[in-house]
Amino acid sequence: MGVKSTDILRAGFFGMIAWLKNNRWLLFSMIIWPYLTAFLLIALGMIYGSFETYKERLNIANPILYILAGSGIVMSSLFIIDTVATNALYHRWLGTLPYLMLTPTKMYKVLVLEPLPGALLSSTMGILAVLPGAVYFEGLLGAGKLLIVLLLVYMGMLPLIGLSIIVASITLVLREESNVAAFLTPLILLVSSVFYPIDVLPKVLQYMSRIFPTSYIVEATRMVATYSIPEFRALFIVAYALLALTLFYNGVASIALSGSEKMVKKSGVI
Amino acid sequence: MAPAIEAKNLVKNYVTWERKGFIKRTRKIVQALRGVSFTVEKGEVFGLLGPNGAGKTTTVKIITTLLLPDDGEARVLGYDVVSEAEKVREVIGVTLSVEKGFFWKLTGRENLKYFGMLRGLKGSYLNERIEYVLGLVGLKELGAADKLYEEYSLGMKARLALARALLHDPPVLILDEPTIGLDPASARTIRELLVKLARSGDKTVLITTHNMFEAELICDHVAIIDKGKIIAYGTVEELKRKAADRVSLELIVSIPKNMLNGLEEKIVALTGLREVALEAIESGRTRIRIVARPGEEEYVIEKMLEWLYSNNMKVHQVRIKEPSLEDVFIILTKGGSRGG
Repeated sequence: MGVKSTDILRAGFFGMIAWLKNNRWLLFSMIIWPYLTAFLLIALGMIYGSFETYKERLNIANPILYILAGSGIVMSSLFIIDTVATNALYHRWLGTLPYLMLTPTKMYKVLVLEPLPGALLSSTMGILAVLPGAVYFEGLLGAGKLLIVLLLVYMGMLPLIGLSIIVASITLVLREESNVAAFLTPLILLVSSVFYPIDVLPKVLQYMSRIFPTSYIVEATRMVATYSIPEFRALFIVAYALLALTLFYNGVASIALSGSEKMVKKSGVI
Repeated sequence: MAPAIEAKNLVKNYVTWERKGFIKRTRKIVQALRGVSFTVEKGEVFGLLGPNGAGKTTTVKIITTLLLPDDGEARVLGYDVVSEAEKVREVIGVTLSVEKGFFWKLTGRENLKYFGMLRGLKGSYLNERIEYVLGLVGLKELGAADKLYEEYSLGMKARLALARALLHDPPVLILDEPTIGLDPASARTIRELLVKLARSGDKTVLITTHNMFEAELICDHVAIIDKGKIIAYGTVEELKRKAADRVSLELIVSIPKNMLNGLEEKIVALTGLREVALEAIESGRTRIRIVARPGEEEYVIEKMLEWLYSNNMKVHQVRIKEPSLEDVFIILTKGGSRGG
């Protein structure tokens, strides 16, 4: 019979669609989340200073749209981390993990491919949710910029998946109560530079931000938001950085996952 | 011709950490399997019986490729569970727990579709198989196929678990406690279905259970496992012959909850017999089973009644029976009182 990679991707996609179909409130919350975050940040920001100060410090034309798009990016990144990294833990809670592992193929293939359609779908939704806001503020140009941001998010997905698999491997080997992603998520939020400039952070966090792909996507978004025509050369630098991170994280991830498969099957923590 | 399932001298140790204070922990080795061997022939229903913690689930996990043995080997239809794990997974249908293992927010049909896709089934064949298994386990008849899994009763969950195991039409079914916690009607439906599948000649069924009645009813061969070792193996009749020189006493009693703790030890001390088992049954009653040698029964009943009445416990029924598989199980797992 044999199970192909496309079979696993199809199953993941079907599972996600069926889940959203039966969870309409979740679907609704995914759409309004960037708007709620943007509203909260703007309300808080107004206490400390004006829009003008914010524009000056971040060198951006439209703070509302920038925060809105930034919230979408962070949300998309967190979706990816959450979907891929906590996938094994989620299946363990549901009791579905053994049945995933009973798929007649390599375990790492299932654990990597099964959550991918969900990650892709939710991150796309996270960005597309901002589309009405972008069109409202900047018309078709805003929609075009958002499309570039979406492509950047897809590019940023590759290293994020690697990072998530490393986290998933650690989570799988450790006992049920250990959720490594829970530590990672606030750290990503902190160093992503989406809500405030990275240079206000302590030096150690500034260095740390360089190893998280989200920081590069946000930086690229700022370039897209700042200039009416994006500075493509600068975007290429971001793309190279993401490529380097992709190679690094996915290389480490493949070693981590095959190691964790052996450990899990030896210790019987499934 | 290779047997359906073959286990040879399986050994498995678990490492656990026992906490001693806030930081200090000590390493402990738990011997889960200590050389388990058995063979399951094609087309039979095989029961792996044993008390909780005996090693049943560990054996099942090794056979289903979810766990690596420390030593020994196991084969399913001739495929090695370690070196040919993917081939093994193609030919087995598995149920590990009847109360979970599905997506709560998906319907029964959607869950089956998801797991079918994950096994490489597609298109009209997948839809036909889903319809077939939903009908076979009776979920269609119950009108539950399109209900969300979170709305399922335990009986429906067990049926869906069996439907998933059958979805890709595997020749070997491995079911860990498939009827645990089910109401009698649901349990009977599952049992009848398993027998039907095996008798049709194209399925081999391995079930683990600690329900002796169930094993007696459906299994062609049984192996009793205790403390990680197979302590008896054969047909139900062969095993029952091990208790041919015994009589089984059964008392149905209403016992206050505060008296239940340590009751088994009290009965052992009172009667001098170690082969005692307690089972909670309906309406808060307890079934006390005592295995004795012929000639001892009157003395034991007299002693028991005297003690029960003196402690204001209500006795509903007293019976002397032919030994059953359950009695064999009690004799073997308790070690026997006098050389049994």
